[in-house]
Amino acid sequence: MTDLLLELGKRPFVRKLVASAGLPMPMPEALPRPKGPSVERFLEGKTVRVAGEGALGAALANLLPRAGATTLTATAALAATIGSKAEAYGRVVRPLTAADSESTDKVHALILDATALARPADLRLLYTFFHDHVRSLARGGRVVLLGRPSDTATTLAQAATEGALDGFTRSLAKEIGGKGATANLVLVEPGAEMRVEAVLRFLLSSASAFVTAQPLRVSAEASWDNRDPWEKPLAQKVVLVTGAARGIGEATARMLASEGAHVVCLDRPEDDEPLSHVAREIGGTPLTADVSDPEAGVQIALELKRLHGGVDIVVHNAGVTRDRTLARMQESGWDQTININLAAILHITETLLQTGALRDNGRVVSLSSIAGIAGNMGQTNYAASKSGVIGFTRYLAKQTKARGITVNAIAPGFIETRMTAAVPMMIREAGRRLSALGQGGLPEDVARAITFMALPGSAGVTGQVLRVCGGALIGA
Amino acid sequence: MAKNTPKNRRAVIVGGLRTPFAKAFTELMELDTIALGVAAVGGLLRKLDLPRTEIDGIIWGGVVLPPLSVNIGREIVLDLGLPASVEGHTVTRACASGLQAITDAASAIERGDADVLIAGGSDSTSNAPIAFPNKVTRTLAPLALGGKATAADILGALAQLMPLSEVLPRQPRVAERTTGEVMGESAERMAQRNEISREAQDQLALRSHQRAARAIASGRFDDEITKVETPKGLVHSDSLVRADTSAEKLAKLRPVFSKTGTVTAGNSSPLTDGAAAIVMMSEEKARALGYEPLATVSSWSYVGVDPADQLLIGPAIAVPKALDRAGLTLQDIDLVDMHEAFAAQVLSVLKMMGSQAFARERLGRDQATGEVDPDKLNIYGGSIAIGHPFAATGARMVTTMANELHRTGKRSALLGICAAGGLGAAAVLERVD
Repeated sequence: MTDLLLELGKRPFVRKLVASAGLPMPMPEALPRPKGPSVERFLEGKTVRVAGEGALGAALANLLPRAGATTLTATAALAATIGSKAEAYGRVVRPLTAADSESTDKVHALILDATALARPADLRLLYTFFHDHVRSLARGGRVVLLGRPSDTATTLAQAATEGALDGFTRSLAKEIGGKGATANLVLVEPGAEMRVEAVLRFLLSSASAFVTAQPLRVSAEASWDNRDPWEKPLAQKVVLVTGAARGIGEATARMLASEGAHVVCLDRPEDDEPLSHVAREIGGTPLTADVSDPEAGVQIALELKRLHGGVDIVVHNAGVTRDRTLARMQESGWDQTININLAAILHITETLLQTGALRDNGRVVSLSSIAGIAGNMGQTNYAASKSGVIGFTRYLAKQTKARGITVNAIAPGFIETRMTAAVPMMIREAGRRLSALGQGGLPEDVARAITFMALPGSAGVTGQVLRVCGGALIGA
Repeated sequence: MAKNTPKNRRAVIVGGLRTPFAKAFTELMELDTIALGVAAVGGLLRKLDLPRTEIDGIIWGGVVLPPLSVNIGREIVLDLGLPASVEGHTVTRACASGLQAITDAASAIERGDADVLIAGGSDSTSNAPIAFPNKVTRTLAPLALGGKATAADILGALAQLMPLSEVLPRQPRVAERTTGEVMGESAERMAQRNEISREAQDQLALRSHQRAARAIASGRFDDEITKVETPKGLVHSDSLVRADTSAEKLAKLRPVFSKTGTVTAGNSSPLTDGAAAIVMMSEEKARALGYEPLATVSSWSYVGVDPADQLLIGPAIAVPKALDRAGLTLQDIDLVDMHEAFAAQVLSVLKMMGSQAFARERLGRDQATGEVDPDKLNIYGGSIAIGHPFAATGARMVTTMANELHRTGKRSALLGICAAGGLGAAAVLERVD
């Protein structure tokens, strides 16, 4: 179902008309999205403004020049650190001056390293930096704040200060959402500074078009070999995607394959035809199984071991809805939803771990949902299964970190799919518009978030639930 | 190394020669790349008085290849009337093609595949084929190649070629196939990214012209250039070098690739026609035939970088590798000859050679390759002044450097060449005593 308002908004003429008529209608901005697989120099020719004297200078120096960015900063320490690398890549670091805040040149990203803020008064830096520069942010631009999780603070004042970043980021996201720009917060645990690259590459690129107003924690818990290719990052990796015949699962299988992975596409035997079609197109392997079958785990583990010697990345995407208010819900509707959406994930993952099919430094990514966070009328079963996934994710992450296996969940908001196209118009419109970006997401947005979690370089991200919701108001 | 081959065979350069280099569509326009090659090789054989029967083969570099006779190397053999047993083949590695031919010859001789080889390259931009879009070929070729065509077939084919704008021949451009970027645009971006000023570029261009002009005036190139007969008369000297240029004149030129840019016709190498060749032998053979070896190619390196990034930065990576392979450092090198595609490119490469950050990040080394002493660099000018017939440049540089080592008793020369496709090349020449 096309989003009429979004389509109209792509026409400058209509935008002008709406503005001049003074209609109280926010026209959503079409979001820029990547045209192909990830590239090393994703910031080629783009300008970023950076501030803050924190612990992330070295990480930013590692990333920005190599990614192709021209960096502007008023912070002398950052200029020195980034400058020491920039020359090698033929990139420039320029001093950020008062004139830049007046300039009409648009910048791609504003990055603030807020890890050194220790007292509420220090928060003034948020005000000055973003106050001066937020107007320079380009359409589809990026704001990233880097902070510390408040539970790692060493003083009460620091904890309070760090906590403040969250509300600030979420609010700023709403203010810039109208121009298709996003704002996110990265909470970096002490010792995990050099692990932020994958996170920054995701949040600063158009791969995260529909991710905004989100905090994401980076830890040093899972082991990491620090040798990350950023082009074809999944070469030599074997991936299992459940529910791969269509929708988000299909988009994910395609995305992972485009990043170099061999994808084993799993779906129900009834969907053999579309499944085989997808698998053939991406050079993967089709595998039919009913995930709620108690034998499925063993069957899948055996197949993966037989065909590929194991699996590196597991994407639990298969899911169903059996919506009814609880009083009217049938027993089977409850059971199917819990079995497929939650019990199967648990069972298959445990089997893959027990049989040794899931290899070291593996990745487990499961689909949760905004409904699992916020609840939804008529979805007691679905929401229970999806918040169950969050419990599963947080617990398992602790169990597997020693083996370098990360476990994460993605919680999509309103995504334009067959399922949401069938939703009544008024509810659909509410789902789209009641968000910072004022529109629905695409299956590829979810696929890109999953792909980000699956990268070797995402070793710092585990036990996390990432919302891909366009900054939806519900459950925020 | 092949069996029954004595170890430690060394390939040596015994002489080199080139045609005058002329601006495209001027004096040498009537000669295609094969004719230019014939002129250079023919002149070299006369100069060295090399017995024709001793020649094993020709390895020839070419960039703009004639579509119907791509193997220029063999065509030169045939046109020169050399013995039919002299084999010939053609190599292409963009602007590093000439150097490629020479290092291939060194490899073949040192491996024992040959004793005497001619290596070099030529290009005639004046005779670059104008390509018709594939649509034309696919429409017309079946008629031309496939037996009898009726009037209806012909009319049908013509109808398919409409609209005319789709089938007009395309203007040839020195553009990257993958990025579509014209090379000057790449140079312009490199100037910006590495903060190379217009003044510095013009300065380098001026020095190139002044040094080349001095070399010509002093007769330094006389032994390296053969006169060439053309239907319109004899061409006997380079015609691109401007002895009378000045910083003021260069500063007046307008940037070509961007209004606010720095790359001008004055600080870029021009489209050029020309050819250059050397003769390489096993040292044993050279001495047996009574030739005095000038120099040997101690080492070389070819590298690739992403053409969408800094197209012409390759030599900054190839140079340290070649130096390593020769067991030398930049401090040991007496002469540096760097192909001047654009002043911006030479200066970018030199800057990166001197950059500690580049060494750490891009080469995985603690120490920068080093700063190049301007007095050792391109002492007789370079491609900006002399001209750059793509595949001829390698043999031009090798000839001048080999002669210089032999003449002056200096020990070693370092060569650097950038090339389309993001390629970089470097080689180390050492004098043979």
